[in-house]
Amino acid sequence: MTTNGREPRSKLPLDGIRVLDITVVWAGPYSTMQLGDWGAEVIRVESTKYFAATTRGQMARPPKEVVEAQARAGGMGYPDNEAGERPWNRSAVFNAHGRNKRSVTIDLTSPEGQEAFERLIAASDGLIENNVPISMEKWGVTYERLSKINPRLIMVRMPAFGLAGPYKNYRTWGNHMEALSGHPLIRAYPNLSPEYAAGGVPADAAGGVGAAFAFTLGLRYRRRTGKGLMIEAPTAENFVPLLGEYVMDYTMNGRVRTQVGNEHWTNAPHNSYRCQGEDRWITVGVWNEEQWRSLCGLMRQENLVEDPRFIDMASRFENRHELDSTIGEWTGTRQPHWLVERLQAAGVPSGVVMNERDALEDRHLHERGFWHSLDHPEAGNYRHVGPAWKASQTPNDTPRRHAPLLGQDNEYVYKTVLGYTDDEYRDLEEKGQIGMDFAPEVP
Amino acid sequence: MTEQTTIMPLDDVRVLDLTHLAAGPFCTRILGDYGADVIKIERRETGDPSRGLPPFYKDEPGTERSGLFMFLNTNKRSVTLDLKSDRGRELVLELARDADVVVESFAPGTMDALGLGYVALKAANPRLVLTSISNYGKTGPYRDYLGMDINLYGMGGNMIGAGDFDHEPVKTAGRMVNYHAGYVAALATSLSLTSVELDGQSEQLDISVFETATHSIDGRLGRLMGYEHNGHLSSRPTRAAAVASGAHPCKDGYFLITGGARFLPNIIRMIGMEELLGKPEYATPAARANPDLIDEFLAHLIPWTLDRTKAELRVEAEKHGVLGGPLNTIEDLLNDESFVAREYFQEIDHPTTGPVKYPGYHFVLHRPDGEDGAEISMPKRRRAPLLGEHTDEVLSGALGLSVGEIERLRADRVI
Repeated sequence: MTTNGREPRSKLPLDGIRVLDITVVWAGPYSTMQLGDWGAEVIRVESTKYFAATTRGQMARPPKEVVEAQARAGGMGYPDNEAGERPWNRSAVFNAHGRNKRSVTIDLTSPEGQEAFERLIAASDGLIENNVPISMEKWGVTYERLSKINPRLIMVRMPAFGLAGPYKNYRTWGNHMEALSGHPLIRAYPNLSPEYAAGGVPADAAGGVGAAFAFTLGLRYRRRTGKGLMIEAPTAENFVPLLGEYVMDYTMNGRVRTQVGNEHWTNAPHNSYRCQGEDRWITVGVWNEEQWRSLCGLMRQENLVEDPRFIDMASRFENRHELDSTIGEWTGTRQPHWLVERLQAAGVPSGVVMNERDALEDRHLHERGFWHSLDHPEAGNYRHVGPAWKASQTPNDTPRRHAPLLGQDNEYVYKTVLGYTDDEYRDLEEKGQIGMDFAPEVP
Repeated sequence: MTEQTTIMPLDDVRVLDLTHLAAGPFCTRILGDYGADVIKIERRETGDPSRGLPPFYKDEPGTERSGLFMFLNTNKRSVTLDLKSDRGRELVLELARDADVVVESFAPGTMDALGLGYVALKAANPRLVLTSISNYGKTGPYRDYLGMDINLYGMGGNMIGAGDFDHEPVKTAGRMVNYHAGYVAALATSLSLTSVELDGQSEQLDISVFETATHSIDGRLGRLMGYEHNGHLSSRPTRAAAVASGAHPCKDGYFLITGGARFLPNIIRMIGMEELLGKPEYATPAARANPDLIDEFLAHLIPWTLDRTKAELRVEAEKHGVLGGPLNTIEDLLNDESFVAREYFQEIDHPTTGPVKYPGYHFVLHRPDGEDGAEISMPKRRRAPLLGEHTDEVLSGALGLSVGEIERLRADRVI
């Protein structure tokens, strides 16, 4: 018994819910990762004949030059930068978001594959996909068809811009949707060409969370009505509310904000500042006078408090560039963690700009039990993030299963879930429908 | 669109909203979008501090003039209440008794100090979901650290990799890290409602903005595993990271293209230089991975983009299967043909501003019969409440207080 007199739950909220996953790249896989983290049985429906670039790596069998180029361009490649025998099982990004999922190979372009898919739809609660609608239509993955097979199916579709409309089949990633939605032009540097605009894909992150949330609403709708539901969650439309105040400034005031960079609407200081060491930075964001006085005290520049250039928030904002230089001189000769410990102790909002090593070594995340090690048979033993939140009554030791090898769960799905006989299974194997390797001709 | 008795998934859920600023209100805004009855408790006289934050209508501050507040608080009812008074606390507990969810975003420990901690709320309602959102979580050495969006993105996101190597790391726009945490909180709340419905046991959710950023696929999750796999530490690029990649200048702005060895052939076809693919330097993925091609190819690509507008380039990219998109302004977005054709932006009337457009729904529900695939008619959003607009309505409707009792509370400055 716990101290509050109650046993913790032995079940996760999505235990017993089966979700088929036809997701690619990042946003879709992140949605099913969230569902798998909280107990759903997520089955990735994959094909040995089709390789969706940047889901299990950029290419099925990348030559070493491509692996090296990828390492230069930003990492996220392979263990020790070696693609290995079956690179699709060694991709870092896939091994991150693939945890807790299963993989079955079904060739949706063949009649046998379509039959297996229909049987699987009948045995599942949901399907999530984030493909160009034209591909889904070609493979018969439409709600019209699937809801006839399983009227209780909850289908969440995440096209980039919508299932209808002029961009229906415009193929993009999160970064292009964000570009079209205005984000990079807002976050571009104030004094530099937008060619230096930053990347990063909060649209994919929000897309994943949104589709997972949508799925849970579908389950609730089904509990209440007995009927399934199709939910259209275009990743771009899901993202635009994250720019809400910029939309409002335009629709209310006609103002078009661009090249804001790290500038706050009204506050200063509010920036990142270089510290001692190679590419080391902290951020500081001050929102009241008390914090400003504390910062001046820590810098041993109490005189700044009375300096007319910095006398109140409006003056500091007006003279923010001078202010940034002054703070940068102080931080430049000091270490980031040393600075932030003192700034926070003095009540100044601040943080280390953490690289990956900082995050994995962070004492706060360690004390909160954020990291979990997991073995992967073809990649190695690595640390994963745990669940995205803690639930007091629902212990969650996720991740429980490593990202699936391609086709790892073929026997389970075909025989246990769908009831195929050994002979039928062998026949599909011989036809190349079932396998654990991409076909040699797949790029 | 003829179905009049549409069920919204959360229209049987009542949310008592004790949040303020960005993350919490973003969470309850989404719950409200899909049917929840959200009762927002605000501080007497000043209300949610976001009422004091820009952008303001016509740039003039005022309690009912913040576009940030208007955006974040649609579909909510506002009740003003002094949480520090005994009677105010009792009223919150009474409202919690009738609610399914309480969402709060105070600094850790504040709810306990107010006598509204999990133990007190659970005693009032043993089936309650208490969603607690804080910058760093309810435990751990940073528990009491302060954080603005820029601090939290720097810690949890891929800020170190955002921008140019010779310049400072840059944040995402506005309050995006907080909004993301609010979205995660909505997901967590929905799942916890499922758990409570299954076994009737209340639950407290501990949502840390720092952790939801570290967890997220916004460049961070994959990069953390990349570091585990091969020790790569992210940093800002010093030049175009991959062949043809970048925000390239065009006739009327900039156009973002994703290149690299894998995707280059479609880009080559788009600019009409198929003959390059016949040359050994460009013929294979391995050849195209050569870093020397980066500058060489830009010399082909940029004159071509400079000759075209963003809109023309978008059409070309779609036609040739090139991953690309225009660097639009918010004005471009509001006028974008897809968002316009889909009637994405919603006009909402407000006494201060009159009707103005707001971002639309994150996702829409479609009818279960599947015959015409029509959308369930999503209800029109109600504008953000004026401060205390629903105090009387909620106290009499939800708590059954008499007019006299409400007047007494007002005289005692509880409401």
